[in-house]
Amino acid sequence: MTCSAPERRAEANVGMAQIALVAQGEIARAVLGSCIGLVLFHELRKTAVVAHIVLPQGQDRPGPAGKFADTALPEMLAILAENGIPRTGLVAKVAGGANMFGSSGPLQIGKENHAIVIQLLKNLRIPIMAEHVGGKVGRRITFDSATGDLQVDMAGSPSVVL
Amino acid sequence: MNATAPFDPALLGDFFSAATQHASLAMSQWTNGRVSLSLDELREAPLEEVSAELDMGDDLLTMVVLGVQGDGVQGGMGGQLILAFDDENGRTLAASLLGREVVANAGWSELDQSAVMETGNILASAYLNELTRLTRRKLIPSAPFFVQDFGASVLAQVLAGQSLAGDRALICRTRFEFDQRQVNWSLFFVPSEELLQTLLTAVQTSAANA
Repeated sequence: MTCSAPERRAEANVGMAQIALVAQGEIARAVLGSCIGLVLFHELRKTAVVAHIVLPQGQDRPGPAGKFADTALPEMLAILAENGIPRTGLVAKVAGGANMFGSSGPLQIGKENHAIVIQLLKNLRIPIMAEHVGGKVGRRITFDSATGDLQVDMAGSPSVVL
Repeated sequence: MNATAPFDPALLGDFFSAATQHASLAMSQWTNGRVSLSLDELREAPLEEVSAELDMGDDLLTMVVLGVQGDGVQGGMGGQLILAFDDENGRTLAASLLGREVVANAGWSELDQSAVMETGNILASAYLNELTRLTRRKLIPSAPFFVQDFGASVLAQVLAGQSLAGDRALICRTRFEFDQRQVNWSLFFVPSEELLQTLLTAVQTSAANA
């Protein structure tokens, strides 16, 4: 009997304000607090872009496109288009937007981040397939471009697959 | 950080060294000489690289989070301090403070949480007292908040506030020793843009008066 090492798939860690393109079995990971992890996935092409959105609106503030919801979405669509992925057939999955320290904590932006992402997706007519948002704890998300599964891990809770 | 006004983080080195030294003395008194800390590194990093730079990965950590409040910072919020441990180190600290043996894999009782939160409070108070002396702006910590979560999640939430003003974050890395052995504790100080400017002004004033 021959034993072979398990296949090691490429993984992208999507840091704050970053956008990553993953395809054909590549995996994207991010750790979120009040930020939103937004996945736009094309199932037939097994390709997705994953953004780690920090704030709702740019309003001439400095920063990469992935930092703000209103600039991240157009950039994500542009990246997909550059890679030959059509807009038709795209679906969205959304996670994050926690309020980790209650009302006394630092900047409570999770709800606002979530609300604007949802509104922008509606404006663009991109269907939202699944969401896991809000609450008081952070999330670790792992997106598998082979299956379209978005695994959400939280401290003290069982994992959820969207 | 304000993208239009870059600065050399080394300018703040003396201030942060002094604050860390002050905090170390307070921690030594609080733990009967068992815990000390020193400033390891102070520099800027792009926002998206901070978690990786701090090697936070996606580990679950036990943390005490305190806000910075006081005069001269709008709305009373001047940033955050985070004292973080892995579970084993957090339990070791709590057990040491409560004078009992470490119980692995037990829940965190209110007393355990209280002991660790008080440690964060003492550390932050000493740290900010020294910055108060150096800046002549009263800075005090908010009530401590106990949290067990992904370290990177907590840091991201804290950095979201700083990201309103720019794309770079000030990293203040601190080394801890427990019974003369380096331990996996971390103290992160994330000043707001406003407090950072206050600190820089104080440094310049101090240099001009020297």
